[in-house]
This record gives sequence, structure tokens and C-alpha cells, in this order.
Amino acid sequence: MNDAQKTSILVLDDEEIVLKRLRPALEKAGYDVEAFSRSPEAFARIREKTFDIVITDLKMEGIDGMEFLTGVKVHCPETQVIVITGFATMETAKESFQKGVFDFLAKPFKLGEILETVKKAETKLRKNKSR
Amino acid sequence: MKKIFGWIKEIVSLGRRSEKKLAFTFLFRRFQKILGLNNQILDLMAEMGGKLGGSYVFDRHYIESSCQHAVHLAHNLIYNLDIIAPKKYSVLSDVFDRISSEIEEELAGKLVIPQTDYVMPYNLITRDFADVVGAKNANVAELKNLLHLTAPEGFAITTRAFQCFMDHNGLRDRVRTIIADWESGNMSGEQASAEIQALIMAGTTPPQVNQAVDSALKRLRKTAGGEDFFLAVRSSAWGEDSELSFAGQYKSLLNQPAKDLLECYKTVLASTYSASAMEYRQQTGFAEHEVAMAVGCQLMIDAKMSGVMYTLDPRFPERDLALITATWGLGAPLVAGQATADEYTVSRKPAHPVTGFEVVRKAQQLVAKEGGGCEFRPVRQDRQAKPCLGDQETRRIAETGLMIERYFRKPQDIEWAVDQDDNLVILQARPLNVKSHMAKLVCDIASILKNYPVVFANKGVIAQNGIATGNVFVVNSDEDLDRFPQGAILVAKYTSPRFAKVARKANGILTDVGSVTGHMATIAREFRIPTIVDTGVATQLLHQGQEVTVDAEDNVVYEGTIKELCYYEFTEEAFEESYEYRLLRRILKRITPLNLLDPHDKNFVPSACQTLHDITRFVHEKAVETLIDLNYYHHHDPDVVARKMKWHIPLDLVLIDIGGGINERSDASTVGLDEIVSVPMQAFLEGLAVPGAWSSDPTSVDFGSFMSSLTRTFSSHLATPKYVGQNLAVISKEYANISLRLGYHFNMIDMYVDDNPNDNYAYFRFLGGVTDPARRSRRAKFIRDILVRNDFRVDIRQDLVVGRIKKLSAKRMVEKILLLGQLVAFTRQLDVQMGSDERIVTFVEGFEQLTRLPAADDATGGKPHE
Repeated sequence: MNDAQKTSILVLDDEEIVLKRLRPALEKAGYDVEAFSRSPEAFARIREKTFDIVITDLKMEGIDGMEFLTGVKVHCPETQVIVITGFATMETAKESFQKGVFDFLAKPFKLGEILETVKKAETKLRKNKSR
Repeated sequence: MKKIFGWIKEIVSLGRRSEKKLAFTFLFRRFQKILGLNNQILDLMAEMGGKLGGSYVFDRHYIESSCQHAVHLAHNLIYNLDIIAPKKYSVLSDVFDRISSEIEEELAGKLVIPQTDYVMPYNLITRDFADVVGAKNANVAELKNLLHLTAPEGFAITTRAFQCFMDHNGLRDRVRTIIADWESGNMSGEQASAEIQALIMAGTTPPQVNQAVDSALKRLRKTAGGEDFFLAVRSSAWGEDSELSFAGQYKSLLNQPAKDLLECYKTVLASTYSASAMEYRQQTGFAEHEVAMAVGCQLMIDAKMSGVMYTLDPRFPERDLALITATWGLGAPLVAGQATADEYTVSRKPAHPVTGFEVVRKAQQLVAKEGGGCEFRPVRQDRQAKPCLGDQETRRIAETGLMIERYFRKPQDIEWAVDQDDNLVILQARPLNVKSHMAKLVCDIASILKNYPVVFANKGVIAQNGIATGNVFVVNSDEDLDRFPQGAILVAKYTSPRFAKVARKANGILTDVGSVTGHMATIAREFRIPTIVDTGVATQLLHQGQEVTVDAEDNVVYEGTIKELCYYEFTEEAFEESYEYRLLRRILKRITPLNLLDPHDKNFVPSACQTLHDITRFVHEKAVETLIDLNYYHHHDPDVVARKMKWHIPLDLVLIDIGGGINERSDASTVGLDEIVSVPMQAFLEGLAVPGAWSSDPTSVDFGSFMSSLTRTFSSHLATPKYVGQNLAVISKEYANISLRLGYHFNMIDMYVDDNPNDNYAYFRFLGGVTDPARRSRRAKFIRDILVRNDFRVDIRQDLVVGRIKKLSAKRMVEKILLLGQLVAFTRQLDVQMGSDERIVTFVEGFEQLTRLPAADDATGGKPHE
């Protein structure tokens, strides 16, 4: 399998530990993963490359995750965004879904849960493409 | 003046008020509050402990918020206990303050070194003391104590001594300032290093450290067997030899006279701040506040030959070989790359045959000098070209090395020596960095994994993460554990702490049932054995001898051995090495361990509490005790209306309802059985009046008259004040406290039943009797036997029997309470008939026949596995 066929995922979280755990898990599941702990770099990368799936934290030092996911959706509406946050409230969940987020996971979550969610997002991507 | 008097009066009356009995209903609400808090904090602790398992992704924010929550709950518990038992356990608040401030400091990023000695002998050190003695000391001691390998005798000067040294010489702030200058670019690394090292070398060791070192040396002198002995003084920094090896960053001094130890100690401390070490820390993201240097002081080994073993040859990992190098004399020049050495490659699989070797001319060897220090000397001509190792030696080294790798779960870089008596001595073991060499082997792990069939996936909970390969060995009994083969995968229906027995041998553990916070999971984490519990299917889907790979990272079990997956794990930073994991693990040490186990132990006191769990346990125990005492002495609220029980059994019983225990609040002064809705009270009365159970009444007196003769209330002057009172029950919907004065026996039963099994308990207390002590004690034994057979925990002291049972489902609880009711009725004046010890057995059998006890077979009623 070459990289072009792989589903591409960008992960943004300002806590390194989240990236350290997510990257190998996603790689082992066969995804092409790029991980960022700082949003400006992630923003820049989004402009260069279209990712199939974006996984992002909501509350990070310096920037607003909402802003980032809005940016992602503007740049590429096809990209499926999964929000991960330690400050899960009904309001933020609602706002995320209004902005077209695919799913919303409260931290801490199980690796199995996020892999499941990513798989579902993949299915949706495929459906969208075949349309 | 008047004002002052008024003030004093107020204080005095306040004091009196606190002594005054508080309304029982009010106290009972507090008690219920404690039960609720108790469950909340236990759940939270289990949840936090579960995060160490590896299934979860968590971050710093989680650690902070869950810690705050736990501290808050513990505080609330203490507050509520203080209300029901005012000022009785005030020490608890001080203990709480200490623990919570330690947690706070950890969260703030300050390394809190547990209160330990300045010096620790190797035989007392385990991996858990790594914070205190540094990883190098901890590893060597662990190999010695746990794996029983030969390593040098010695002791560690702890990180506490380091902190004490820094404080004693007022160095902390000065070092911090210099580091800040260097980090902001105002000072070069060399300059900063030189300044700090000079400060340390100019310092003096604190007297308490000197004293501790002196007595440790005295003890070591006995082992050394002589006045003049020599030491290897080695750095063992906090965090060194973990994922970050710090290889060669700090100083180690060889063959130093014991009398020079303190000077050597300072030299090693100073090397903490070598320019290269400071830069290494900065590059690897090792926080400066985590710096703490421990020092290893080991008896110098007089080595015939020495060398290094890499348990996996990093040059060609795909060949699955181990690499051994060897030279004559001491190994230091080999490690430093200053000497040539023989080189052997051996298979990683037993019996580790040599697959290739290269023997070089070894003209020089490093040896220990007579008066201390080391020097190079020429090697005897005939030995220069001779290989250091034969087949037997290489196999011995390989076997030992791979055992260490299995234990530390990473390829190892091991320094070994063979002493003059031909003992293989392990000097040091640390993880071998193989990341860069592995990258191309495992570049597309996802497609490699596709070639292997999955036996099951996402079935259980990961208790310890990691990758394990091996053959399945199914364990059904303790005998199976004795036959457990080295390197197998343990598969069992239940988890058991007895698996600790094979912790050195097991590569992985899979169980059908079990929990992440159980004892076995803790053991699995201690030994870092990849473990998945609660799979539900392991014993069904796996068979004896089957070759499998356990991926306790992604929760998958594959058929076959996937070498690449092991290598992939080698390339990843272990979850256990991440800052967040270390932080959570450190903090949990102040939250979850339970030290207060036995309420009868003299150490079951507030000052012995070391963790929030201890506090929780203590508060819960004392709250139950307080509530029981309150009823025992009948300090119920005089305002609460007491009503008589109206029943066909002439039980002289007064009921006090403190909430929902009686169906309708009528003004009538009597209560019928059908009006009682208290769950435990109902069950108890039902048991007391089980029809037919008394047909073969041991006293051969009809039940009605028997009961009435025994249940009359005694006039107060006949009994000690302690026993004065009538048959009394304080009840609510979920609670009942029954004090019965039946004949001359005193029975107290305290029970709670609701939908949450964690809340539920029954406490049964039986005392007194009319006959001689021998007969009374036989009756006590009879009661004990019945209770034990029904899963109660029983304490017996002469004729006092206390039985406890807790945490059963409501259904099982009601069954147990029903049994208590039967038991109470059955035992009245039983001692009259207890003529001999044999009668105990007869009556136990008789009772069981009468009550036809259901077999304890369901999950909650059966004996718990852990």
C-alpha cells in the first residue's frame, strides 16, 4: 500500500502526550498521520495539503479551536473534523456540530473510541466521494 | 469587662453544645452523605488508576481536574466525620493538609521526594524507589532482589541527600538563577556549568548525610571483610537510564578508597551540571526541576574480564541476534570506546548459539591499583590473542541478558563482569536506544499486521500496555503456576494475585474476568507484563501451546509471532516514560495505595494515613463505628416518636423511624408488620419468624412461649448501665439498627441495603449468655461457623462474636439478613444445650438443614477472587 491510498489525518493538540499516544495508534491502524502541537503550523499545513480527517482539541493556549475548525471547513468542506476536548460542555458540543463537525469526543477517551470514530468518518468520506 | 464575660460564656456554651447529642436523624443524614462521598471517591480513584493501564488518552488537564476532585471529596469526608464525631479525629485534618499540599506541589511541577533516608542499602531498594535512588541504582538492586542475579553489594545515597546538600549550602536559588541566565542566552553552557560545579565542589556535605554514609560504610565493611576497601561511585540521577539514557553524561569513579567517599560524592553531584548533561536535558525536554542526583556506592568488583551486551544487535535488528563484547580486566575503556574487544553475535532464542565472532589482540587491560584508582597494564603475551569467552560463557551472558530485557521490556545495554571466582556480575542495565535502526523494519506496520489472523480484538480492558509474544499456557490451579514455562503467555479465567509467582516468567497475561484496579493488575504493572483483563473470551478462544502475539496497546491478540510488532514497540517512547504518565503515577502514590487494612490493627489511626485512600477508609470505618456506638448506647433523639411493634410474636420491640422505614405515619402508638417498609428490617423480621423453621426447636419448647419468656425487658437495676434499654430498632427505608436483649444475650445488628452494592453492609454483634463460660463460648463458635459458611467476616473473642458482610447486591444482602433473623431466633439459650464441642457440629448441621441455605454461587455472593 502506498501513501497516496492511505487516509490522511492531521492531529492538533497542544498537549504533546495526546500526540504521542494518537500518532502510533493511528499509524498502526494504517493511516497517514501528521501531528502538530501549535496551531499556526497546523494552519499553514492545512493550506498546503488537503487532509481527509482533522482531529483537533478545542481549548488550547493562544488560539481558539473553534476558529481552527472553522478554517478547516472553509478551506476544505469535505474534510471530516473530530473534536477532542477536556472541557466538554453541551454548549461547545452544540456549537461544534453547528459548524459541521463530524464527531465530538470528551477527553480522556479510549484509543479504541477514537479509532472507531475515525473509521466512521472514513465511511462518510467514501460515501461522499461516491456520490 | 461585661463584654468579655459574655464572650467567655458564649465560648463555654459553644463547647457544651458540641458535646450535646445531636439529633439522630441529622447524624444519620451525615452518615448517608459519607456513604455517598465514599463511593464517589472510590470510583474516582479506580478511574484515575485505570488511566495508567494504557487504554486511555489523557492529558495534563485531566490530571489536574481529577486531583482537585479527589482532594475535594476527601476533604468533604473529613468534614462530615467531624460532624458526627466532633473533634474526635482532628489529626485527620493535618494529615489531609499534608497529603493535599504534596499533590498540589507535584501538580505545580515540583519534584516531591518521598520522606526517605539519606542512604538506602541495595537489599531494600525496589523499582518503586527509583525516584529516591535513581534508575541506575534501582535497576541494579531490582536485578539483585527480584531476579536474583549477582550484582555488586552496596548502597545508594538518595536524591533526598542531594536536595539536603543543595539546601544546606544554599544552592537551589543560585543554581536556578544561573540556569535561567543560560536559558535566556546571557551565559554560555560551559560558563554556567563551570559556575555551578564550582559551587557544588565548594559546598560541604550536611552532617546528617555524613552520619548516614558513615554507618552504611560500616555495614558494607563487614561484607568487604577488611578495613581498607574500595568502591565504585556511580551517578544514578533521577530519570537517568529511563527512556532517556543520559549515557556517559554523568561521572562515575572507579576503585576509590572508602575513606574518600564524600569527596567522590561531591564530584559525582557536580557532574549533574556538566555542560553536556545540561544541554542533553534541554534537548530531550527534561525539566530542570526534575533534576535530582542519587549516587550508587558499590563494592569494587575485581574483574577477570568485562564487557557489554546488547540484547538486540542494533546494526541488524532483522537478524534477531544479541551482541556481546568482551575484554580482559575492567570494562570502563570498552564502554568509553578506548579499547578494542572481542565481539560475539548470539541468537536471541534459547539455547543462544554463537552465530559469529571476531577475536582481536588485546594488548592492554585496565586494572584496579593497590592504593586506589585504575591503570592500564600490558596483557600477558599468551592471552593477548586468546578469545575471552567460550560457548558456555556466551550462553550464560545471553540468558541473563534476555531475562533482563523481558523484565524491562526494551532491548538492554548491559555492563557485565566476571569476577575472580567466575561469577557473572551485572554492573548496570539500561534501555538500548534502537529507534533509528528499527524505523525501516517497521515502516508500514499496518500492512504487516494484515498478514496475521486476529484471534480477538477490543474484548477486554488493558491493565498494562505493551507487546508480548509467546505460547499460551492456561492456568487453572496453583499447581499450573508451578509448571509455568519461561516466556509463555498466561491465560486464565480469573485474575489472581497469586500470578505474582510467575511474574518473572510470563511474557503476557490474558484473563476472562478481572479489573484494571485489582491486585493482579497492580502486579502486572509492577513487572510491566502486557496484560488484558476482562476479555470474556480468552480461555475459550485460545488453546494450550498456541503461538500468539498480544498487542496490549491496541487491544488485539494475533495468531503467530509478529517480530515486527515487538520492534515497533521498541521504537516508540514507552507510555510509562511520558511526563504525564510519570506525573500521574507519582500523584497516584499519594492517592490510591491503601495502607490502613485492618481496623483492629493498632496502626488504624489518623496519623498512619498516607494517602487519600487511607483517609477514605478511615472515615468510612469510623463513621460506621460511630453510628453503631450511638445506637449501642441508645443515644437516640428524644424528639423522635418511638412506637411499639404489634406482632403475633411477642417481641418487645420499639421502633424509631428516621425516614421512610414505616409506611404510613399515623398517630397510633403501635406499628404492624405490614406497615414496615424498611428493606433490612423487613428481611430481618421475616427471618425471625420463618414458619416451620422451628419445628425441631433445639429447646423443645414451643416458639411462642419460649420467645415470651426471653424477650421481656429487664429492669434497669439488674443489668450494667451499658445494657439498659429495651429491644429497639432505628430504621429508615434502607437502614436498620436493631438492639435486642433476648434473655441474657445482647444482640446488635446494623444493616444498610440499597441498590448500590458498595453501600450495603450488615454488622452482627452477639454477646452474653446465661450459662457457664465454656458453653457460652461453644455457642459463640456455633454462630461463627454459621456466619463463616455464609461469607461473613467473623471475629470472635470468648463469647463475643462480631460478623461483618458488605458490598453484596440488594438481593443477596436481603438473603443474608434473613439468615441473621433466623440465627438470632435459633440461638436463644442454645448454650443450655451446648454440653460438648461435638454439639457445635450437630447444631451447625441442624441449622443448615432447617434453613436450607442456598449455595453461594453467584458472582456477588461467591468468594471474591481478589
